[in-house]
Amino acid sequence: MLTTPRSYPKSWVEWTAIVIAAIIVLTAVFGGLLAPHDPLVIDFRAKLLPPSGTHWMGTDGAGRDVLSRLLTGAQLTLLSTLSVIAVVLVIGCTIGIFSAFVGGWVDNLLMRLADIWLGFPPLILALGFAAAMGASLQAAIWALVFSWWPTYARLSRMITKDILSAKYIAAADTLGVPAWRKVVLYVLPNAFDVLIIQVTLDIAAVMLAISGLSFIGVGAQIPTPEWGAMIADGRDYVRNGWWIVIFPGLAIFFTALSFNIIGDMLRRELDPTSQRRA
Amino acid sequence: MTYILQRIAFSLLSLFVLVLISFLLSHIVPGDPAYVAAGPNAGAEKIAEIRAEMGLDKPVATQFFIYLGDVLRGDFGTSWFTHQPILQDIAQELPPSLELVLVAMVINLVVSLPVGLLTARFNGSRFDDLVRLVSIAGAGLPIFWTAILLQQKVAADWKLFPVAGRLSFEHRRFEGQTGFTLLDSLMQGRLDVFFDALAHLMLPAFALALLFTAVGVRITRTSMISEFKKDYVTLARAKGASEGRVMFRHVFPNGATPALTVFGMQFGWMLGTTVLVEEIFGRPGIGRYAVKAVTQSDIHGVVAVVFVVGLFFLVANLVVDLLLYAINPRKHLEG
Amino acid sequence: MKSTLDLLTGTAIGAIALAGLTALPAMAEPQGVLVIAENETPENLDPANATNSTVDQLLLGVYDTLVQFTAGDVEVTPRIADSWEISDDGQTYTFTLKQGVTFHDGSALTAEDVVFSLERLVAANAGVMNNMGTYSGAEAVDDYTVALTLDAPFGPFLSALARIYIVSKDAVEPHMGDDNARQWLAVNEAGSGPYTVTDYAPTEAVTLEAFPDYWGGWDGNHVAEVIFRYVSEPSTQLALLEAGEVHIAPDITVEDKLALQGRDGYIVDIGSAATPLYFYMNTASEGPMGDPAFREMIAQTFDRQLHLDQVLMGFGTLPDGPLPVGWMGHAAGTELPFDLDAARAMVEENGWAGTELLVRYLPDIQEEQAAVEQLQSNLGQIGITLTAEGMTWPAQAATTGSVETTADLNMLYSFPNFPDPHAVLNGNFNGALTGAKGGLNWAQYENPEVDALLNAAASSADPAERAALYAQVQELVGADHVAITVSLPGSVVALSDSVEGYVYNVAHHQTFNYMDIGLK
Repeated sequence: MLTTPRSYPKSWVEWTAIVIAAIIVLTAVFGGLLAPHDPLVIDFRAKLLPPSGTHWMGTDGAGRDVLSRLLTGAQLTLLSTLSVIAVVLVIGCTIGIFSAFVGGWVDNLLMRLADIWLGFPPLILALGFAAAMGASLQAAIWALVFSWWPTYARLSRMITKDILSAKYIAAADTLGVPAWRKVVLYVLPNAFDVLIIQVTLDIAAVMLAISGLSFIGVGAQIPTPEWGAMIADGRDYVRNGWWIVIFPGLAIFFTALSFNIIGDMLRRELDPTSQRRA
Repeated sequence: MTYILQRIAFSLLSLFVLVLISFLLSHIVPGDPAYVAAGPNAGAEKIAEIRAEMGLDKPVATQFFIYLGDVLRGDFGTSWFTHQPILQDIAQELPPSLELVLVAMVINLVVSLPVGLLTARFNGSRFDDLVRLVSIAGAGLPIFWTAILLQQKVAADWKLFPVAGRLSFEHRRFEGQTGFTLLDSLMQGRLDVFFDALAHLMLPAFALALLFTAVGVRITRTSMISEFKKDYVTLARAKGASEGRVMFRHVFPNGATPALTVFGMQFGWMLGTTVLVEEIFGRPGIGRYAVKAVTQSDIHGVVAVVFVVGLFFLVANLVVDLLLYAINPRKHLEG
Repeated sequence: MKSTLDLLTGTAIGAIALAGLTALPAMAEPQGVLVIAENETPENLDPANATNSTVDQLLLGVYDTLVQFTAGDVEVTPRIADSWEISDDGQTYTFTLKQGVTFHDGSALTAEDVVFSLERLVAANAGVMNNMGTYSGAEAVDDYTVALTLDAPFGPFLSALARIYIVSKDAVEPHMGDDNARQWLAVNEAGSGPYTVTDYAPTEAVTLEAFPDYWGGWDGNHVAEVIFRYVSEPSTQLALLEAGEVHIAPDITVEDKLALQGRDGYIVDIGSAATPLYFYMNTASEGPMGDPAFREMIAQTFDRQLHLDQVLMGFGTLPDGPLPVGWMGHAAGTELPFDLDAARAMVEENGWAGTELLVRYLPDIQEEQAAVEQLQSNLGQIGITLTAEGMTWPAQAATTGSVETTADLNMLYSFPNFPDPHAVLNGNFNGALTGAKGGLNWAQYENPEVDALLNAAASSADPAERAALYAQVQELVGADHVAITVSLPGSVVALSDSVEGYVYNVAHHQTFNYMDIGLK
């Protein structure tokens, strides 16, 4: 199959996605500073105001500026998403690499376990977890970690196995290179590409799951401007305050969309196993 | 035959893991599991009783086997809230959810299979690009948000579909034997009830199906593309078979098989996602039951839903795999 | 969702024989179907749980009681009991029952059923029995005479009986099992009221149908069927009301109710409810809340006027202390007014900035959420972080079962079972009824002086004396900064104008008198 040289963004769609993702990341970093109003201080005299010059996205049922909440919430939403991914990355990869190194029945058992675990709907599993732990954003984050680790365990195990079978590892073996050095020297650098693709694609999925849990009421609590919680908060007013529901939804949508497009692009460009288009 | 045995052994192992997860959730909770299981306002006596029942004074392994025994007998305990055996509650809530998932699945298949086939055939075309973009977009829509917007616009404003519920007012007396309104109405020859139930199902099913269809289209496309590249397709074309024949007689049946495995998994995932639409559309179902159980600290109710959804997931996968095997045993021997 | 004790002022001595309804053969046929939206699903159908309004609203039409509070009435009237006698020592109540009352299972209601119902509630450790004070036992004197005895005089006894629903012994006894028929009665009914439960699907709908042989007859305009539809989303309730699929939508937003007020086809009923909403401070806390000075600061951080004007949109009364304004014994000015600057000064003086507090509340109730947000916002401005945890009723109640698990602040509505100070003050502030002891005093407030005053008031028959005692209670509770009274909201219910006869019932808050309602 022909391999085209790495030429990342291919179309205006991908360019747009990169720009949007960059804006979102910047918003997450500086969101609080950009907010024109205080996202938490309520003002019932100014509740349910439609979008206008002073409140670009209107105000919510407690008179808070929706735009300010959205900007502040970007940090929170993205940060919780990234915490989930960071933790599952560490836990998953540890299990996966361990499994590959040990091999034998342990490897078999761990991977079977991961296969099975992977099948369970994360949302309902997280719901069970939240029931045991109580409702909070932290509980939602742990709940997702609890249900998400197998993806990374399987991926990292696959990559490690691949590398361990390579010739240069055999050479390293004869030199007596300890396992941890092999991981640092060979496994991690080689796994990077594949993991970064998975991470990008998971940003959207994890973010949707967190906002779903917040929507059900087992995630972020008031007055936290987590995007899913904002939608949950606004749905009572949807008939006379559509803006409270629409904007956080669009924010989730565009974030998920842009990271998915980038992930897709990365997969095309970086993943040797994916199918390249003619 | 070996394959079937292996496959069944795997399912049994999965079942074991499922019980393990449920056990972890209900027994290894922060604080006192007996207190959590007893629910609010339970007296010390009741808590002691539950502690003995769950074997909490015994080693963890023993506790697990007590739990395993209970679950295999279908005993998930009694909801302290409804005062009913949880299995009975779930049996009542399951049919409406399954019905919702089935309709969503039909929408998913009806869109995914043909669109996947066409994008594979016209791989790299403008049409392919567009579908790709749309399906990526679909995968980014929060289900609950779409559900709210559909309900408010399509149902409340445009009045194209009912706003909420499972059946219209005039059919409130409709009684079925199975609890599946669509099936019951057909069995009784009540087409009016059937279409009414279907109308109530359309928006929630559509909202639920969107995300899964977005994935379904892409999976089908990938699997069809690899099929188009196979030698027999080239051969058929060389022999002068029409493109339609190539697509529908050769590529589609062969390419659809691997995709079916994914659809089988999607069935379980969908059942675990109904929770996001049932409340909005005021439908009964296990998702709504699970949320209610969570907010009422009814840990056994939640765990039972986790278990039942997981069980359906296992069964759906097993059925799909065995079906595929029955259709084409060779394929599995090769793999 | 909550109830407290009781007490009706006058303690009648001697026979009270009020004209009972003559059981005429039914002339009119009930017709039409009334659909009521409800945002919270019922626990079950068990009369043991009748303190909960979602249960009570179903049982109200299904069961009969000895005495009753009818909608619009503030005193008990006879129902199954035609008349009663109270012994001179005030410890024996002898009721003469109406004859010809039939249960839905066909058996006749007799004294045995009354005794059975009460004994079951005691054995099942039912919540409704918490309202029964010094009740000790029941005895059937003959088929239509039943004697209830008390350990000590208890003024509000008759009022408390208005929530004791009578079950058919014939129907229930076979299902007693080892759980006192709780499982059976959770999904079955055994009443004698005007309606029977014909379909119970608590996540979807509950259907009640008129009982043709109802002893009270069916004269007048009544509905043949009542459906409670469980719709948790206010926006969905509104859409259903607009689509004509429900007739009564109690839980839509205040903004939507205001909008409906001017529209053809809708009625917005405003009832003068007496259901104060509180923030209870955990007075027994080991943390900052245990310090009266800290509570004094917190007590000044909630803006009640703003809440009334902008959250309740004017539907209600400005609260002044824990007791509804205008009630017997109401003492004015016992709670500190809103003064954020004074609170800020106290925070600075004592170095309280950076304190973290937890509040638990019911997010399904919009005004509770708004009040929590108000408090969060105000406390945030003076350097105190208030974390909120949204729950449902039973889960929140469970957290108050011990002082350690009780949050710094808890929101709670008091739904008094009848308009008397005892119904509000005793349950909320008596040290014998703290959350840790299974009661609704979620402030875990124990003050022997207050307890003594409350107990003295409960057994007194002199209104002036009682008023003075209750006024003292409010002064003490105010000085200890036990609670912030957030609001006294009115009952605002949106109805289709095809509904006639809806009247707000102050003794059964958040229920509907569907027995009296007709459709035009």
